[in-house]
Amino acid sequence: MKIKAKLKGNIIHVKAMAKHEMSTYNQAEKRSGNKEDANFITHITASVNEKTVFEASTSQFLSKNPIFKFKFKGAGKGDVLTMTWVDRKGNTKTSTSKIK
Amino acid sequence: MERRQFISLSALVTTAAMFPAQLSAVDFRETKPTSWTAHSVDEAIKEMYGDVTLINKGITIGTPDIASNGANIPVSITSDISAKSIALFQDANPEAAVAVFTVPDGGSIDYNIKIKMGKSGTITAVAEGTDGNFYSGTRTLEVALGGCDG
Repeated sequence: MKIKAKLKGNIIHVKAMAKHEMSTYNQAEKRSGNKEDANFITHITASVNEKTVFEASTSQFLSKNPIFKFKFKGAGKGDVLTMTWVDRKGNTKTSTSKIK
Repeated sequence: MERRQFISLSALVTTAAMFPAQLSAVDFRETKPTSWTAHSVDEAIKEMYGDVTLINKGITIGTPDIASNGANIPVSITSDISAKSIALFQDANPEAAVAVFTVPDGGSIDYNIKIKMGKSGTITAVAEGTDGNFYSGTRTLEVALGGCDG
């Protein structure tokens, strides 16, 4: 996952891109004949210092390699932002980035 | 108060104080599975939040007027409402629910995501306010090239 976290004033602006095909049921059915092959990120969270700052439950209708932009307060330069996603098949990925 | 009672009480308070941090992790796909398979926006909202009255104000959804590529539509959601969660739906795809954001304590609603839409349609956002009311906002856009492979 690519994460950019930047402090502007007292607000941290985050832009993150998860590398994921985000296939829908229809796409999976066309490709393999089985719509249960669909796979997409179902839940994504971001935290700093063990505090959740972003959380989303997601569906197959996010774009391929989905981008998430959000803002939060209460952290400073050098703090580490940790983002984790889980997909429909149970795969999970955690990435970190320092706030600049 | 007897000591024994006090200890059990303080144990209770500690547990209660510890839980909010954990409870902040809400996977709406697990707690509201039926909402994600609902085909209409109204049905999905009902499955997500119950039979609620929506107040149509306070939420701004930003998209291009005409999205050239339905596979990659930038959508921004902003609101000053103090909310627990905000959900995004659309009426162009087989199912209506797109995403639900859990707003952290003291967090503001200012999100940008990219979504897929199979054809032109309307995006609806519903915010669950901390005051117990439900707010909504809509945005209709044209999609030049559908992005869901049918």
